[in-house]
Amino acid sequence: MSNFIRLIQNENMKLYSKKATWVMIGILAIIVLAVGLILRFMDDNNLKEYGDDWREELQVENASVQNDNGDYTEASYRVNIEKNKYHLENDIKPQSYGAMQFVYDNIGLAMLISLFTIIVAAGILANEFQWGTIKLLLIRPVTRLKILASKYVAVLIYALTLLVFLVVFSWIVGALLFGINGLNPSAVMYDINGYKQVSLLPEIIEGFGYRMVNLVMMATFAFMISAVFRNTSMAIGIAIFLMLAGNTIIPFVSQYSWAKYILFANTDLSQYQSGGHPLLDGMSLSFSISVLLVYYVIFIVASWLSFTKRDIAGQ
Amino acid sequence: MTKPAMQLTDLNKTIGKKQIIKDLSFSIYPGEVFGFLGPNGAGKTTTIRMMVGLMKITSGEVLIQGKSIRTNFKEAIKEVGAIVENPEMYPFMSGWKNLVHYARMIPGISEDRIKEVIRLVGLEKVIKEKVGRYSLGMRQRLGIAQALLHNPSILILDEPTNGLDPSGIKEIRHYIRKLAEEENVAVIVSSHLLAEMELMCDRIGIIKNGELISINEVDEESDQQEMQEVHLVAEPLENAKEIIESEQDIEVRVDKDMLIFSVNRAQIPAIIKRLATEEVDIFYVQAHRTNLEDKFMALIGENAIE
Repeated sequence: MSNFIRLIQNENMKLYSKKATWVMIGILAIIVLAVGLILRFMDDNNLKEYGDDWREELQVENASVQNDNGDYTEASYRVNIEKNKYHLENDIKPQSYGAMQFVYDNIGLAMLISLFTIIVAAGILANEFQWGTIKLLLIRPVTRLKILASKYVAVLIYALTLLVFLVVFSWIVGALLFGINGLNPSAVMYDINGYKQVSLLPEIIEGFGYRMVNLVMMATFAFMISAVFRNTSMAIGIAIFLMLAGNTIIPFVSQYSWAKYILFANTDLSQYQSGGHPLLDGMSLSFSISVLLVYYVIFIVASWLSFTKRDIAGQ
Repeated sequence: MTKPAMQLTDLNKTIGKKQIIKDLSFSIYPGEVFGFLGPNGAGKTTTIRMMVGLMKITSGEVLIQGKSIRTNFKEAIKEVGAIVENPEMYPFMSGWKNLVHYARMIPGISEDRIKEVIRLVGLEKVIKEKVGRYSLGMRQRLGIAQALLHNPSILILDEPTNGLDPSGIKEIRHYIRKLAEEENVAVIVSSHLLAEMELMCDRIGIIKNGELISINEVDEESDQQEMQEVHLVAEPLENAKEIIESEQDIEVRVDKDMLIFSVNRAQIPAIIKRLATEEVDIFYVQAHRTNLEDKFMALIGENAIE
């Protein structure tokens, strides 16, 4: 076991010795910072603070949307009448924007983490072949399976590191720009059944959780391509193309009964959230999980077979 | 008889329908430097890849200290340090990190051992620099360093002097001899250059088209009756030619300013002595070990790669 940990240490050392790895972390940091600054200084709508007479303020807002003639005014684009009504009806004071809200708003950046993880997963094996270092790596008293596993685990650790970094850095940037507004503030959000009050922390965990499913599937896919074709660019290209194009092809094939078995129809498990409609007929949460598991096992077994059974021949 | 450090028995490798290695059998013993000689494409690297388990063996067996590379890979490979083809390292990491990387893969290698190996190959000054900035010679040394980390009893070096300057070649040669003689390591060196092999190997196996043609001892005390081709440059040339022809009943060819003739090894000193006493100035004498060279040239001369 300590043996295995040393292998992972090796993979991390190689990963973090490369500039590209730090560039990815840097890009993530810059984007979070940029989003924060834009929100803070260019959009004062979100950040509106309500005083003790917030009920009146909301009513004034709603009234301002329509003028006396019944026409919509220029205020209409930034006032959310339905949301304001929900606040008034349920007597919930609108919360001010804070660090946790900012973290919640950055859940979408998990997409970027998927992208970076794919790049790392695609390279971690194929690079060894392209550098020629695979020959020196595989003539040690370590089984090929262990080396493969250490690389896969290193990819997952990298994804997790980026994720933690995104959350922590977003929170810090949010705290500096907008202040801290409790650790688990509530917010009023829209879902398929209309507005309701929710706690932010579970929402954040849930949001990232759903995106992790997609991340792990695509990273494992890139890892497999990397193991089978031993070519970094090919693995990055195919995996990123499928990640971006995968969801858009579903509508075109949705009339076929086999469409629901496509990986991309199933990677977004949030489609089964309360009251949601699945993408295609005949799909359910357990169906999607089964499909994902089957794909996952295929990816892992294909990586394993092609890495452990094939000759390491010259370039 | 000592137990062989490495034993190849009826080794075969078939890729598709093509048989790349045919019934290769030989043994390497502790303390010897075994030269694996053959033209490019003869199957040297394929054989080495099979020896270290990078390629599957179609049939036959490789035993390393009695352990099969096929069925007991982990135990067998522990005995081996190797460079396969070029010494490729991670260019974006320092030499030190590269060595730490390989040291982590084998239990029981201390930091002191890594430092010792670095000193051994003379890379102390540049070890903290990135390998991407190393010259080929420095990378070759780092390659040898990683192969020696775990004190292997068998060292396999594929074209170890590739890209080295003459002083580097001499150093590596000296170092390989020392490992074999003092540490009793069995060293396998592959090359396509005969002259280089003769200088550092005890035995040379010649391979062509995947078949072992012969194994020859490289012995300084060669057979006194062995015929050798002598190249000699002397002044005046005509006098020298006559003296040699009169000394022995042999045919002397003139190639530009050089005399070429074949004699028994035992006769060479007498001829030189005679030339010297006859006031002939000798500028250059070289005796070629015709046996090995002929065999090798016969190989290279033909279409070696089919």
